[in-house]
Amino acid sequence: MLKRIKKDRVLYLMMLPALLYFVIFHVWPIIEMRLAFYDYRIVGDNIFVGWKHFKTLFSTPAFYKIIKNTLVISFMKIVLFFPFPVAFALALNELRSGPFRKVVQVTSYLPHFLSWVVIAGVWYEFLSPSSGLVMDLVELFGGERKNLLTDKNSILWVLFASSTWRSMGWDSIIYLSAILGINASLYEAARIDGAGRWATIRYIILPALAGPMITVLILNVGFVMSAGYDQILNFSNDAVLSRVDILDTYVYRIGLLQGQYSFATAANLFKGVIGTIMILLTHFTSKKLTGKGAW
Amino acid sequence: MKKKMRQFFRPSNIILSLIMLLIALTMLVPILNLLAKSLSDPQAVSGMKGYQIWPSGLNLINYEIIFNNQVVWTALKNSVFITVVGTGVNILMTTSLAYALTRPNLVGKKAIMIFLIIMMIFEPGIIQEYFVVKDLHLLDSLWSMVLYRSVSVYNVILLMRFFQETPEVLLEAAKIDGAGHMRILFSIFLPLNKVPIMTVGMFYAVYRWNEFFHSSIFLSSRSNTVLQVFLRQFVVEGDTTALSALGSIDLSAISMSALRAATIIVTIVPILVLYPFILKYYTSGVLTGGVKE
Repeated sequence: MLKRIKKDRVLYLMMLPALLYFVIFHVWPIIEMRLAFYDYRIVGDNIFVGWKHFKTLFSTPAFYKIIKNTLVISFMKIVLFFPFPVAFALALNELRSGPFRKVVQVTSYLPHFLSWVVIAGVWYEFLSPSSGLVMDLVELFGGERKNLLTDKNSILWVLFASSTWRSMGWDSIIYLSAILGINASLYEAARIDGAGRWATIRYIILPALAGPMITVLILNVGFVMSAGYDQILNFSNDAVLSRVDILDTYVYRIGLLQGQYSFATAANLFKGVIGTIMILLTHFTSKKLTGKGAW
Repeated sequence: MKKKMRQFFRPSNIILSLIMLLIALTMLVPILNLLAKSLSDPQAVSGMKGYQIWPSGLNLINYEIIFNNQVVWTALKNSVFITVVGTGVNILMTTSLAYALTRPNLVGKKAIMIFLIIMMIFEPGIIQEYFVVKDLHLLDSLWSMVLYRSVSVYNVILLMRFFQETPEVLLEAAKIDGAGHMRILFSIFLPLNKVPIMTVGMFYAVYRWNEFFHSSIFLSSRSNTVLQVFLRQFVVEGDTTALSALGSIDLSAISMSALRAATIIVTIVPILVLYPFILKYYTSGVLTGGVKE
């Protein structure tokens, strides 16, 4: 074995930079998360305090509010969003292939490649109470102009709409490719049996989508603890913070902005542990059910 | 032909096409509206409706102001630097790791794979990442963002799938010639796997160009800011100090709304220019790689 290691020394050397990267930027900070069990000191050693910060965390009412927000937003983005890309793929498939379909496809994928900063910029204009397209339409139909971005009751729907806007097209790819993989003889057989458009969708296409649908749904549930902080950071403001503050934004605000490092790390560790368990659970469930896992 | 025409004009098909057209317009019109505003006369912008996709009084002044601004210019340069150098580092590290891990009989392969998967599922906290960068004395250095996310395990696994399929036979001749691993990687593997390597390259490049959260934490000074962070300050937080620091411009003659639009457009342009390539490679990567991005 030593001989083999020696023979392959160049290979180990080639892996070294990447492995070093993981040790420095991943393992080291993960180990440093033990700060959750210490009191942070600017000068001198941190003081071990055991579960103190977790106890404080679990007795903070705001923490439960934040968990609730995280779960609500995740639910919207996982469950409510789920039918949209499926329906979009079905609809694309029903369009006759040609330039129109191509244009719809290419346009609908575009938002996926824009950063949330850019999307926020686009949506601020889109929803602008004074000059935005949405409010122009609302007014046209007799409604009243208002700012949805600072309205507690509408902000969650703004989050949902903007993330659907961003992902519906791109996420439909996986379903569209499953549809394109259906054997042509199945369509032929259905046609001979007199199946119409709806019957074909119901009995041929949807069964072919069952596999990817289950995989996507299960694997997305694995990310339930991260409700998409990069979106929320760009869509939150003081007026709606109580509705959109999630674990990640809470850790960022309490920790990096307010300097309560130990306490915020405890919240972060809590999220990390639950999140990891969820990812592992969903990975193995999906692997067992559909043969496809998260990696 | 007649039958085809009839099918085309079936009401259900027309309704479906209209709905799809509407969806596509929802994605395009807000962006085109910004493009129109950015190209308009600053005085006319406030009167423009949200559906207007043509400029009012064509004027390049907004872009002139932006590109004459030192902060924007620096941010643009920094973004390009981090994206180009960072993606280079990404490709180098990812391909060498994937190559080494797909060599037969490598001792310790299984342990390394398990290590990588743990790295993939357990993310370090942002506070500790900040402290590590601080301890490395990389705070407010562009290198912090070049090194951050140097390798993504997902991309390594994706590349490994392709490297595994490269036939061993092709390597024999090179090995007999006495070529080392480095030469085999660069002269045989890279040319044979151009598409998958371009694919992960695109994944990395788009990620890097769009990154704003860690940049906003690691890069604190204005001379080291990146475009997305600048855009965030300007558009999301409404901080206009960077732009109004200009001496020569008459503030009453400019429209912040038009300047915002122009900054957003500048940030999107690289994505638009590369869009055909991005689509081509992303699609191939997503379809071989499974469901996750």
